[in-house]
Amino acid sequence: MWRVWLLFDPRKSLVALFTFLFVLALLIHFILLSTAKYNWIEGAAGAAPAASQNSSLPAG
Amino acid sequence: MAEERRSLTGLTETEAKEFHAIFVSSFIGFTVIAIIAHFLVWQWRPWL
Repeated sequence: MWRVWLLFDPRKSLVALFTFLFVLALLIHFILLSTAKYNWIEGAAGAAPAASQNSSLPAG
Repeated sequence: MAEERRSLTGLTETEAKEFHAIFVSSFIGFTVIAIIAHFLVWQWRPWL
């Protein structure tokens, strides 16, 4: 496996990898914040059933 | 003694192996932290 570094420049690979991981982490965190169940800032939803999510209609 | 051959990236075999060792250990550390994070979130609110 170490031979990959003879083919791919370690510096460019690290920049690409860190950029990718950062964007992915940002994406996942924002997706979770957009859900009711996994929003840890405006939490208090408890184990709210999934029915409260993904609905285009207001609750109640 | 023949000088170590340079590759496409300009690294020698020794340098590539050295970098690879750091890369693998960093990857393992990252994975362990990710597993801990997933375990904690699962304890908080399991998703299945």
